[in-house]
Amino acid sequence: MEENYIDKYLFNYLFSSSNSMISVIDRNYRYVKINPTFCRMLNLTEESVVDRSVGDIWGDETFHNNIKNNIDLCFNGENVKFEAKFGIPARGIRFFEVTFIPLTGGGQEVMHIVAETTDISKIRLSQNAVNEMEEEFRRLETGIPIGLLRCKTDGTIIHYNNAFSKIIENYGSTDLHGMNLRDFYFEKSLLDIHIIQLGDKKVRTFGRVPLITMNNNQIFCRVSGFMVSDKNTGLPSFIDFAFEDSSREIMLENRLMQAKKLETIGSLAGGIAHDFNNILGSILGYSEMLLEEVGENQVASEMVARIIRAGTRARELTGQILTFSRQVEQEKISVNVSEILEEACSCTLSVLKPGITVRKNINNRDLKVFADPTQIFRVFMNLITNAIAAMEKTGGTLSIDLDSAEGEKLKKESGKNIVADKYAVVAIEDTGVGMEESVISRIFEPYFTTREIGKGTGLGLSVVYGIVHELEGEITVKSVKGKGSVFSVYIPVIEDYSAFGVRPSKEKYKILFIAGDCGESRILSEALKKSGFLVTTTANALDLIELPEDDLQKTDLIVFSDDQKEISSEILMRFILEKNINLPVVMIVDTDYDLSKEKLLYSGIIKHILFRPVSLREMITAIQISIQ
Amino acid sequence: MIIEDEAGFREMLKNALLRRKYSIIEASDGKEARLRFKASIVDLVVTDILMPEEDGLKVIMKLKEIKPDIKIIAISGGGKAGPGNYLNLAKALGADDILFKPFSLNMLINRIEDLLNPEKP
Repeated sequence: MEENYIDKYLFNYLFSSSNSMISVIDRNYRYVKINPTFCRMLNLTEESVVDRSVGDIWGDETFHNNIKNNIDLCFNGENVKFEAKFGIPARGIRFFEVTFIPLTGGGQEVMHIVAETTDISKIRLSQNAVNEMEEEFRRLETGIPIGLLRCKTDGTIIHYNNAFSKIIENYGSTDLHGMNLRDFYFEKSLLDIHIIQLGDKKVRTFGRVPLITMNNNQIFCRVSGFMVSDKNTGLPSFIDFAFEDSSREIMLENRLMQAKKLETIGSLAGGIAHDFNNILGSILGYSEMLLEEVGENQVASEMVARIIRAGTRARELTGQILTFSRQVEQEKISVNVSEILEEACSCTLSVLKPGITVRKNINNRDLKVFADPTQIFRVFMNLITNAIAAMEKTGGTLSIDLDSAEGEKLKKESGKNIVADKYAVVAIEDTGVGMEESVISRIFEPYFTTREIGKGTGLGLSVVYGIVHELEGEITVKSVKGKGSVFSVYIPVIEDYSAFGVRPSKEKYKILFIAGDCGESRILSEALKKSGFLVTTTANALDLIELPEDDLQKTDLIVFSDDQKEISSEILMRFILEKNINLPVVMIVDTDYDLSKEKLLYSGIIKHILFRPVSLREMITAIQISIQ
Repeated sequence: MIIEDEAGFREMLKNALLRRKYSIIEASDGKEARLRFKASIVDLVVTDILMPEEDGLKVIMKLKEIKPDIKIIAISGGGKAGPGNYLNLAKALGADDILFKPFSLNMLINRIEDLLNPEKP
């Protein structure tokens, strides 16, 4: 009696105060009894539920899909537990944990079951949130470009992310678990020092640490460490490391340093070259006097001629250094890059060794830049000649590409000082010997050469560098030892070129340009036309002889490039003298030109001698000086 | 008169012109040149452009002021703006002739003779 009283009291208490919905269901799936929580949850009175079927209350679909079979199981005598989502009016979709317990009463047959339904939505939702967070974290860990790694206090790797794998060039996806982080340190002991340092201070950044990749490459990473301690014991349990690849940063710093170095060399060399020009002036001047002094002495005059030739050669070199240090101003006009490139190609590729194939890819024939065409010509000639030289022994493919590129894109790709919106990009690529990193970094320095002494001056690329920078352009080089090199020249494109460049001179001088076969002379004569001179160009000096006298008399000046096959400069000059053509002549010669021929100068016909390479500015000034 | 700050080059020019029986007055910068110019009779001036103290462009203007018919040949070897630029400027300021450094002595002498004997063809 006592026990029964306690049971009944306890049952009533639990039944009415439980936070779960509790109901008793009979074999006809009808509610026999429900507790107050049930009423509260469904917002229904007890009377409106009792005697109604489960399907009535929860909807037939839910009943048949989720509930009926479980109730049937329970009536067979089993305890049933399951989770389900039910829609409740005014409460929306909720998650429930449902338990069915069979009640057998006195007999064997189950007459009723007790259903306990607990709203677990809160738990479920927070669990989902945790899952999502975890997912998010995984995504972050996988996607972030920072290498993350967890290791034991002895360096044994417990966990690492994709980025770490990438940084240490683990492309073969070797499992790093169980390996030691020490294996990737260039200085193995450095990791021990780092771990000791982390012992004092739980978080630390170690700056740039040299690492060794799986491919045995040395790289630099900015490393940070976090010591994680056991919550209970307070003892270090493992260490988290973050690795940031600073290779690009270092590359940019190196480039900046390189540029500054070149700038310094430039101003130094420029200063020296300037002083040298004065000294050379003295040497050449005294040599000229000496030449007069020695008179008929053949041996002595030959020696003096050699001094003059050497001095002239030195003057050419100082001129190149001045170009590198950008102390020579250029006369700039609107220039079609593809035309100059084609001219350079035809000059260099006409006599090509077998074994070298040429792939020319000129994508844009309308790119115009603001420059001295002879200078751009020098740049292309130099790069193409170098590319051919790089394949001298091996043979290979020479690729010459011209295209345009957006400044923004180039800035991102090259990390160079890109300021204009659009650039003409000329890429000269060879599959020759290639260069080592240490060579690449010094390649634009004047007098840096990898060729044997006596072959090349070591000035070529420094001159190229000076010219390109004078045009507010850039030059980059990529090279792999044994594979080949590619030089890319970027020159700002002028969209509306009519505004610049074509500067009609006040006096329309008529010039007869005897250009010969040299591409440079042809470019020069074209450039003169664009600069406002009236230029008649002839490839062959013999044309001059056939020219009607009237035409000759209308001419103001003759430019004569001394590389004629058919006729020597002396014969031409004699012809001019005989015909009594009273015209000033500007002569273009190579630096090794025999100056004993300079006797021509005394005749007064040749007003100016220009040494190759001749810039447009030199040419124009020489013309202006000579026509007076 | 030769105005040139580089002593070696100035000396060379002097020697070259002395050989042609010209009498020479030297100056190493613009200021010195003006003082000496006023104190002597000068037919022709060869002047450098880039010099300390007072540069060649100023010299040209000042000397032309003192003696409008003075013949001046400007010479220059470079500098940041390039020789062509300075020399063209020199010409605009009244220089009778201009020459790049380094130049052939014969060329300089030809020019001097042309300027001093204009009637000769």
